Amino acid sequence: MPFDRELLKGSIALLILKLLSERDMYGYEIIQESLRRSQDAFEFKEGTLYPALHHLHKRGYLHSEWRTGKNGKQRKYYGLTAAGRKAARRSEQEWFSFTKVVNAILSKANA
Amino acid sequence: MHLDRIASRIILLAKLPGNNRRAEVAEELRTHLEDLAEEMRSRGYDEEALNRIVRMRFGEAEEIAEAFASVYAPERLAKLILQSAMLVTASAMAVVVVIGAVQLIAAICTATSIVSILRGIHQEVFGFGAITAGYCSVYAGERIFPTSLTKALWLSAALGVCLAAVFGWLVPQHAALPSAAFACAAAGRLLQRVEIPFVWFAGTALPLLMAWALFGPLISGWQFPWLVWVGLTVSCKALREIVRLFERLFVEDFA
Repeated sequence: MPFDRELLKGSIALLILKLLSERDMYGYEIIQESLRRSQDAFEFKEGTLYPALHHLHKRGYLHSEWRTGKNGKQRKYYGLTAAGRKAARRSEQEWFSFTKVVNAILSKANA
Repeated sequence: MHLDRIASRIILLAKLPGNNRRAEVAEELRTHLEDLAEEMRSRGYDEEALNRIVRMRFGEAEEIAEAFASVYAPERLAKLILQSAMLVTASAMAVVVVIGAVQLIAAICTATSIVSILRGIHQEVFGFGAITAGYCSVYAGERIFPTSLTKALWLSAALGVCLAAVFGWLVPQHAALPSAAFACAAAGRLLQRVEIPFVWFAGTALPLLMAWALFGPLISGWQFPWLVWVGLTVSCKALREIVRLFERLFVEDFA
């Protein structure tokens, strides 16, 4: 089911922070990983990932460096800073609290 | 649009500050597009279908550029303010040096005491500021409204009126000259846009002539200020070179 664009936009920072809390990744890898985990359901315009990455980088949540991959290709890897780890935990908690509240409202409305 | 051009278009539209950053973002986007194209190739898509799918998955260049622009907007603005301040400072210094030199030469030629020139220096400061403001206001207008000269001139004229009011309040007896100097410098910059050589000399002369025609009869013994005109004209030439140097140094950021 295709998700609402604004909903995707709002959750992209959380997804980036969460995925990068596991290991350093480059942009394309982040997309592939989110597609794999969501079984291709989480589909968004891939180019919009980069402004989001740069925004988080500017806020000091990410560090980045160019590394050479196995095929000799240079890629820019992103990883979390200490502030990024804190932000990831906070965002995750916020998300669970938010979905819990929304679910509670929806379940009562459906009852 | 060819895949290579997507990254270039985003960079062009995003107006990212700094050459290094632009190159880095372009490389990052290009790598992603290549990875995406490789994935499609490995799935057996031909080049035409591949291009279409990559463009569809990557998104519109305009939308991505807009998102980048908003991320870097504060940095870009700060850089713009800093560069503008540098331009105005360099311009003001150039005006002081040029007019100072012209006055010094005139003093030597006419065997006038330099001290007598320095006596009126507090009033000259208004003139230096007015020339810098007049020239830079038209230039700023050209940059802010690159497609509308009328709007650029309105901006300059609005600043000119405000400054004339300030001069009128601070130095009511001597407000005419700095106001005319502002108009001269603005007209000089305006006529420097014309391809015909030396036509801009008229730009620096016309407002002075008008001031002379208007106020000359009211002030006894007031002659056309030739020295001011020479100083203004040489200042405008110096300011033009400063603007060119500034554009060469910061053209990517200021474009």
